[in-house]
Amino acid sequence: MIFIAIILGCIVGALIGVNMPMISYTYSGYLAIAIIAALDTVFGGIASTLKKNFDLKIFVSGFFGNAILAILLTYLGQKLNVDIYLAAIVVFVGRMFNNLGIIRRYYIEKFSEKKKDTKKEEQEQVENSEEEKQN
Amino acid sequence: MKKFKIKADVTVVTIVVFLVCIVLVSVMLMQFRTVEQTDITAIENMRESELRTALAEWKNRYEDMNKQLEDVNARITEYRKNIEDNEVAADLIEEELQESNLLVGKTDVYGEGVTVTLNNGDMGVQAYDLIDLVNELRYAGAEAISINGIRVLPMTYIVDMGEYTYIMVDLQRLEAPYVVKAIGDKEELTRVLNLDGSGFVDRAVGIKVSVTAENRVEIPKYNGELDVQYMQEAVQE
Repeated sequence: MIFIAIILGCIVGALIGVNMPMISYTYSGYLAIAIIAALDTVFGGIASTLKKNFDLKIFVSGFFGNAILAILLTYLGQKLNVDIYLAAIVVFVGRMFNNLGIIRRYYIEKFSEKKKDTKKEEQEQVENSEEEKQN
Repeated sequence: MKKFKIKADVTVVTIVVFLVCIVLVSVMLMQFRTVEQTDITAIENMRESELRTALAEWKNRYEDMNKQLEDVNARITEYRKNIEDNEVAADLIEEELQESNLLVGKTDVYGEGVTVTLNNGDMGVQAYDLIDLVNELRYAGAEAISINGIRVLPMTYIVDMGEYTYIMVDLQRLEAPYVVKAIGDKEELTRVLNLDGSGFVDRAVGIKVSVTAENRVEIPKYNGELDVQYMQEAVQE
C-alpha cells in the first residue's frame, strides 16, 4: 500500500515537475537548500520507521518546516553576507549520512541474521509486518 | 523528532507520503531542469561577485579603449593639420614655380606689347642692331622678348655669321626680316623706341624699322634645354 503510494507519488510528481515552468536561476539556490532539507527529513523518516518510532506529525512538520527554515536561513545569510547555506548543507548532509548509516546497518544486520539463523526468519517477518502496520 | 509514538492511521500516512513524494519529486525535477538549462556564463545568471569582477574588468578595458581612441583621434588631427600645411606649401610652391617659369621663359606667354620688324635697307641688319634693340626693349620694361619666334633668355646670344647674310640666335640661323616681339607696356615701349634722336628708330640708319603696338602679342616658350652646370645656390647666413 505504502509502496504503491510512493511510486504513484513519484510518477505524478515527475509529470508535474516536467510540466512546471522553469524558475529563475537566482532562486534555484534557495530551492536546492530546500530540497536537501526535505531529503534529510525523508531519510530521517525512513530511519525512524526502521527504529519503529515514526511520527507522521513530526515527519510532515520536519519536511516543510526544515525546507522553509533552510530557505529563510539562506536568505538571511545573503542579507548578512554570510554563507549560512553552507552550514545548512553540512548539517543536513551530515544527518543524511547518519540516517543512511542507520538504515544500512539495520538491513545488514537483518540480512546476516537471516543467513545465520533461518529459524528467526519467521519472527523477523512478523516484525516486518508489524512495521508495515505501524506505517 | 522521535519523542512521540503515536499510531497513525495507515490511510492518512499513505496519503501524506503520496503528497510528500509529489512535492519532493516535482520540486527536484524543476530544480534539475533549471540547473541543466541555465547558461551559467550568461550575465543574468552570474553571481554578484562575478558580476563585480567582470564589471571592473570591462570598465578597465573601456578606459583603455577610450585612451586609445583619444590617442588615435589626436594623431588623426595632427595628420590632417600636416596635410593642410603640405597643401598650403604645395600651393605656394606651385605658384612660385609658375611665376618662375613665366620669368625664365619656359611657358608660352601673351600680353600687350609691340612688334618691331627689321628689314634690310641700304645696309643689312647686323647682330648689334638686334642686340641694341633687345637692350632698349629691356630698358623700356619688356618682360618677354622673342626674335622670329625664338625666345630671348638671359643666356641668349646674338652673333653675326658671315657678311650681312644671316644672324645666329641660340644656334639657330635667322634671316631678314627680323620680327622682334616684346611684351610690356605698349605705350612705354613705343615711346622709348621712338625717342627723338636717341630712340632705336632714329638710330637705326640704313635699315627699315617698323614699330607696331599691339594689344595681344604672343611669345612662345624657349624650346631648348636649360642646363645649369657651374652655378650653385649660395646659402645666405
